[in-house]
Amino acid sequence: MKLKEIRNSLSTRLSLWIVFFAAAIFVAALGYVTVVARRAVRREAIQGAKRVLDNTVIRVNGILEDVELVADNLEGRIYQNLDKPDVMFDLSREVVLTNSFLNGCSISFEPYYFPEKGRYFSAYSNNNGKSVYTQQEGQDSYQYFYLDWYLLPKLMGQPCWTEPYTDQEEFDDSTMDSKMMVSYCKPLIGNDGSFVGTLTLDISLAWLSETISAVKPYPHSYSILVGRGGTFLVHPDPQKLFYQSIFTEDLVSPNPGIRKLGEDMQEWKEGMQELVFGEDDSYVFYKPMMTTGWSVAIVCPESDIFGGFHRLQNIVLTIVLVGLLLMYLVFFRIIRKQLQPLRALAVQAETIASGNFDTALPQIKRNDEVGVLSRSFSEMQTSLVTYIDELTTTTAKKERIEGELHIARSIQMDMVPRVFPPFPERKDVDLYAFMSPAKEVGGDLYDYFIRDEQLYFCVGDVSGKGIPASLFMAVACNLFRVLSWQGNPPAEVARQINNEMSQHNEQLMFVTLFIGCLDLKTGRLDFCNCGHNPPVLFTPEPHFMTCEPNTPIGIMPGYAFEGQTMENMRGVRIFLYTDGLNEAENVSHEEFGNERMMNALASLPHSESAQGVVEKVHAAVASHVGIAEASDDLTMLCIKLA
Amino acid sequence: MKRFTLILLAALVALPLGAQKTKPKQDMIVFTPQWTAQAQFAGYYVAQELGFYEEEGLKVSITHPNATQSAENRVRSNLSQVTTLQLAQAVQFAANGLPMVNILQTSMNNGMVVISRRGKNPMQQQGGKVGIWAGGFTQLLESVAQQAQLNFEWIRAASMVNLYIAGAVDAIVAMSYNEFFQIRQAGFNVPESCVYRLSGHGYNIQEDGLYVSLDYYEKHKEQALKFARASRRGWDYTAAHPEEALDIVMRYVVKNHIATNRILQHLMLEEILSLQLDPDTHEREYRIREDMLQQANEIMMQGGLIQRYVTLEELIR
Repeated sequence: MKLKEIRNSLSTRLSLWIVFFAAAIFVAALGYVTVVARRAVRREAIQGAKRVLDNTVIRVNGILEDVELVADNLEGRIYQNLDKPDVMFDLSREVVLTNSFLNGCSISFEPYYFPEKGRYFSAYSNNNGKSVYTQQEGQDSYQYFYLDWYLLPKLMGQPCWTEPYTDQEEFDDSTMDSKMMVSYCKPLIGNDGSFVGTLTLDISLAWLSETISAVKPYPHSYSILVGRGGTFLVHPDPQKLFYQSIFTEDLVSPNPGIRKLGEDMQEWKEGMQELVFGEDDSYVFYKPMMTTGWSVAIVCPESDIFGGFHRLQNIVLTIVLVGLLLMYLVFFRIIRKQLQPLRALAVQAETIASGNFDTALPQIKRNDEVGVLSRSFSEMQTSLVTYIDELTTTTAKKERIEGELHIARSIQMDMVPRVFPPFPERKDVDLYAFMSPAKEVGGDLYDYFIRDEQLYFCVGDVSGKGIPASLFMAVACNLFRVLSWQGNPPAEVARQINNEMSQHNEQLMFVTLFIGCLDLKTGRLDFCNCGHNPPVLFTPEPHFMTCEPNTPIGIMPGYAFEGQTMENMRGVRIFLYTDGLNEAENVSHEEFGNERMMNALASLPHSESAQGVVEKVHAAVASHVGIAEASDDLTMLCIKLA
Repeated sequence: MKRFTLILLAALVALPLGAQKTKPKQDMIVFTPQWTAQAQFAGYYVAQELGFYEEEGLKVSITHPNATQSAENRVRSNLSQVTTLQLAQAVQFAANGLPMVNILQTSMNNGMVVISRRGKNPMQQQGGKVGIWAGGFTQLLESVAQQAQLNFEWIRAASMVNLYIAGAVDAIVAMSYNEFFQIRQAGFNVPESCVYRLSGHGYNIQEDGLYVSLDYYEKHKEQALKFARASRRGWDYTAAHPEEALDIVMRYVVKNHIATNRILQHLMLEEILSLQLDPDTHEREYRIREDMLQQANEIMMQGGLIQRYVTLEELIR
């Protein structure tokens, strides 16, 4: 199942989520059960192995203690006959004959202890299984006093058990353990307290090997016995038996686990270790045999101890996995069936989305979320069809209005003179104007004309924006041209326009207007500022013109506007503008402001043409506004009389 | 009570047998090394198994010493013609009128050590019980101990390893290639502070060499030299192919029921090959060094084991 399929299928995703959640619960539960059960199995195994080991050691020690008891009894009789060497043969033979578990008995003495017997005297009896023979075995080729069984009790001054050894020259490996024997040795102390010889009782290691090997608490478990030197005295592998010690492999491949086990066993400790023993992960339970100094251990492969547990675990795991798979399939099928109407709805929705709004939706007679969704979708479809119809109509209307507005813009722009230079025949008048509505049409206006060497001009700004403002502007524009053409001074023109526009002004619109009349012969400027931004004069530094505070036009019928006069405007540049310039905002709603405007104007050279002034100020304000939408109409007019 | 494994060494201390003359098969050389089958004699096993003796025109039988006959006795009774001896042994024999002829010297260093049981320098245990072979090879050490006035109580034993393990002795004399590893195999770490190496204290005197009786040498010189040549070839091959040699050693070990294992034999072979390198040239020189012979003479003379110096010419004819 590809990831894309999972991503695109709600049924699959929901099913997988359910299965994952269930799996998490199963894993947590199984994990807990596993830990608890494993501990219980382990505890039981330890207790079981300990019981088996205890029993084994008790049985082995029982036989070894019998040997020690025989030695103790015999010792007294030897001391009673220390002056009768030949009695030693009888004692030795009698002990072997009366104790069937003994293989042999040796009563051996220091060289020349019995002067009449020479250097060697060792009374030895042996039970070979068929008969018992007795002999003096010491000779030049068999100097017994150099051997372990004689030297150990002599040097240690106390009874001891030897390490196992063999008594036959001819044997094969398969019968090796049956030929091995071990001896219990007691030092013989003379009347003067000095060491005089050794009493030795031999027993076969075969019975010990059989007893220990029979300990098999698990099918593949096995028992080992190691001597004081770590040598394997019992081991299922004949290659290791007697030939290797528990430390042998550690000589070339150090293994801390095995070494620790060997040291514990050598130090007569009792315990259990988990380690790789042989080739398997194993539990090794060990216990010392205090009598001999050996240590017996049971090696239990972990697979045996936890075999039943692992089988049960695997069965449960299989059931869980199959259950999860079935759960996935069932849930997938149920969810898929429940979502079938949604899929049909989705197909129809795609059809609707492609433009077929009348496509019939599937009928879902359910009261659940799917049914509610289906009905809601049906209602949405109906609403959508209605909305689309209305949108189509509205769009058509909007397109028509936009077309009309475009035409209105052309008309409005045609209402103001836009041919520059406006008076190409005159070299004394430099005039340039610019107007840019914020919308299709705007409420700004400017105009100018020359009549009888009088240059009439105006710049105005209607309150509001858009179509109403544009209509008010058109009226103001026409009135300016008609009324100023009569040659009246600007204040009178303002008064007449105000009177005209105040009538029927139910919308209470108004226009700020600066009207000027420049006498081209004398350079005298008459002007009337009707609430408009004061123009800037360059004399030659730019500064705001001082204007009377008249009201805007259209507010107060009959208002008496006051005109003003400046006598000589020759060489003086006048710059008029609407608030679309100094109040232009950038994206941070920061206004261009009078300061930036005046700085832009101050940076211009004195020789700059009227067009240059307007275009550079326009560039400065455009740079300030940046990508922000124009917030107001912008109009600029610059005049300079030479 | 014949304890085969243990009594072998007891047999080795047996007094020289009487002139038990047994005529060997014609052209057959019986070689008896001084110990049971082990990697100490790997070169001879290799020479035998790879046919180096045969290529020299020799018929060789390798017979190890047994309970009743030591290697030395076998040679003296002419049951065996070739044996191995330590240099100090050969010097003692020659000084005592029983000359043996060295036909090949394999050892160039001394491998004898004293291992302490009590966690301290064994040579500082004045008067301690020290296990030593009852079967011989002790000439050198006894002389050294006497010179150092250590007053050891020598515990002569067939095998000292079990005495060491049981704690019955304070220290034992051992070979660095044999008992030393057996002790370690028994779980004893044996730090170097508990080991006294003769070679490291000015007593680095060669050990194993191939010897024949003077009588045999005079009558069969050519055969003896052929045997030496093939044996040397065997040792060279062993040094070059130690794993293959070890396989051969293990065949001899199994055949002779020696209670050992491949790991011990591997360690033994490594040590033996190392002891065969001359301490100055680090080469396998196969020669008796006069300086070591002289030192052996002096030590044994001071120890009272010999009454006269033995010359190189007495050993190499």
